[in-house]
Amino acid sequence: MSVSPIAALPLLLLTASTLPAGQSLLHDIAEANVNQRYTIESVSIAGVHVEDAKIPGHLRRRLNALIGEHCDAAELADLATELRKELHLKEVTQRLSRGSQPGSIQVNFEVVRKEADFDISVPRFLYRSQQGFTGEMDAGAQLRQNNNFSFSILSNGDNLTERFTGIAARYEDESVGTDKLRFGIAFEDYHEQWSAATQVAAESVPGFDLYRTRRNIAPHLTLVVAKALTVSAGTSFEQMDPENPGAGLRSANALTTDAQYGSKIGSDAVEKTVDASYSLRVGMRGLGSDYSYARHVVTVRYEVKSGRQMASEEIMGGTIAGNAPSFERFVLGTSSTLRGWDRYSLDPLGGTRVVHNSLTYGYRVRGGTAQIFYDCGALWDAERTAQLRHSVGVGYRQGVFVLTMALPVSMEGHITPVFMAGMNY
Amino acid sequence: MSHRGRRLSTIAALAAGVASCVFAVGLATAPELLVRVEGDYLHISAPHLNFISGKTLERLKDGASVAFIGQLTVTTTPNAIIPEARSVARFALSYDIWEERFSITKMGEKPDSRRSVSHLSAQAAQNWCLDNLAIDRSLVPADKLVYVQLDLRVEDPRDPVGIVGEPGINITRLIEIFSRPAKSAQPPMVLRNGPFRVADLRRVPG
Repeated sequence: MSVSPIAALPLLLLTASTLPAGQSLLHDIAEANVNQRYTIESVSIAGVHVEDAKIPGHLRRRLNALIGEHCDAAELADLATELRKELHLKEVTQRLSRGSQPGSIQVNFEVVRKEADFDISVPRFLYRSQQGFTGEMDAGAQLRQNNNFSFSILSNGDNLTERFTGIAARYEDESVGTDKLRFGIAFEDYHEQWSAATQVAAESVPGFDLYRTRRNIAPHLTLVVAKALTVSAGTSFEQMDPENPGAGLRSANALTTDAQYGSKIGSDAVEKTVDASYSLRVGMRGLGSDYSYARHVVTVRYEVKSGRQMASEEIMGGTIAGNAPSFERFVLGTSSTLRGWDRYSLDPLGGTRVVHNSLTYGYRVRGGTAQIFYDCGALWDAERTAQLRHSVGVGYRQGVFVLTMALPVSMEGHITPVFMAGMNY
Repeated sequence: MSHRGRRLSTIAALAAGVASCVFAVGLATAPELLVRVEGDYLHISAPHLNFISGKTLERLKDGASVAFIGQLTVTTTPNAIIPEARSVARFALSYDIWEERFSITKMGEKPDSRRSVSHLSAQAAQNWCLDNLAIDRSLVPADKLVYVQLDLRVEDPRDPVGIVGEPGINITRLIEIFSRPAKSAQPPMVLRNGPFRVADLRRVPG
C-alpha cells in the first residue's frame, strides 16, 4: 500500500464538491448506526453514573431521558459536544457496551481534560471598505467550574462614530448560589480616534465633548427568569479624558438594565426564531455623573427557515433623553444597519433618535446561504426632522463567515458600493 | 580515518542496508488492486487491503459510526488531475456490539439513493465498499492504455466545531492541531493498477 497525501489531495477536492457535508452529514452518519435498535440501560460520564456526575441540571435531564429509549446515535453525538463545551473539556466521546440484558446497552461518555483550561480565540473580525478593520482577540481561562475570566484586545471601527482601540477584561460567575443567578464585572480601557468629519461637526456644536480615552467598570447581576428570558441589572462607571486637557476628567456613571428574550419554535418543515431585547441606561448625577440622560433601545428579530429558504425581519428603535456622551449616541451605516451608507454622510456625530428595519431573504446553496437584504432607517435629533434612508445588498454566508456588498438607495451624488467581509457579523 | 569515524561509517552502512530491506519488503507486500469487467461496469477488488483495522476498528467496537470516503478514478496518464471517469461514495460503517458483525450504509446525495447491508464480517464489509465503487465501462476509453486508482480516507465525524465555530476561531485549538504529530489521523490509502487496456481485462458475467 502506498501512502501519499499529495495523491489523496484530488480526493479531498473532488469529494468536497460532490458529496454532502456539514452537520446534516454528521447526523446522517450517526443515524446509520446499527446499534440504534438497542435500548439504553444506563448512562455514565467518565464511569460515574449520570445521577452522581457534577454536570449542569439541563444536561443531566437530557442524559437521564436517554435511559429506556432506543439508542439515538445523533443525540449522543450532540450530547458529547454539549458536555465538551459546558464542562470545558478537550474531548468527549461516547462509548457503547453491552448491557446486562440482551438487546440493552450501556453508554459511557469518556472525557479527556484540557492540559490547561486556557483558550485564545478570535471571536470576530470585519473588514468594511469605508471603515477598515474591526477585530478582537480574546484570552479566556476557567478559574473554577462556572467562574470564567477573559481578557480581550480589540479595535472597533464599526459600532460608534469613533474608532475605539484597547483592552477589556471580564469576570463571570455563572452560578451565584443558584444556576439562575449570575454575576459579572467588566473593565474596559480604550483609546479613541475620531474621523475628520466628526471633529469638524463637533466644533460647530457647543458643549459636544470629544475624548481621547475612556475607562469603564461595569458590574452586573443577571437573573435567568425562564429558559427564554433573562433580566440583568448593574452599573457602569465610565470616565473620559477630553481632547482638551484643560477640561478635566468627565464621568458618565449610569444604572443599566437589560432584558433578553429568545425562543425557537421548530417543526420538521418550518423553524421559527424570535429574539427580542430591551436595554435602558440611566446616567445620574446622584452617581457622580457629569451627564444626566436616559437611553432606551428595543430590538426585535423574527426569523423563519423552511427547507433551503430563510427570511428574517429585524426592527430596532432607540431614544436618548437628556445630555448623553458620544459613545451612547446612535449610529446607522454599520455592518448591520443601512449597510450601503457611509455613517459620516448620515450624521458624523450620531443621533439621539433611531429607527431601523432590516429584511433579509436567504437561499441555501451547497454549504452556505446566498442572501439579499433591504435596510431602511432614520437617525435624527430632537432639533432635526427624521429622513428615512434605504439600502439594498447581496451577501453570502458560510457558517460564521460572511461576504456582503451593499448599495445606498439615493438620488444624490454618485453611488459607491460598500464591501464587507467578516466572521460572526 | 579514525576509529570513531570508521565506526560511524559502519553504522551508516548498516542503517542504509536495513532501510533498503524494509523498503523492498514494503514493496513486495503492497496490496494489489485487481480490476475486472462485470456486465457494463468496471469493478475492483483488493484482496490484501485491510482498512477496518487499528483505531478505526477500536472506534467501531466502541459502538461509534465511522465514515469512509472512497474514490475510484480512471486516467490515461499516471498522475492526471482530471480523470476520464470516476466513482465517489461515502460509506458509514458501524459494528453491532451484540451480534459482533458490521453494518454499512452507502450515503447517497438523496435519502432514497442510500443502500445498506448488515451482518457482515470485516472482510465482507470491505469487499462490499469496493464493489460499490464501480465505474460505467462506457465512460472508459476501450482502445487506450488506462490507469486505475483507488483512494480511501477515514472521515472523523466527531465534533468538527473545534477551530472555527460560533465562538470564532480558536487559536489554542489551532496551535494544538498543528503541534500534534500526524499519527492520530489514519493516512489516506492509495492503490493503483495500470497501464492496461479495458479490452484485455478479465470478464465476469454481470
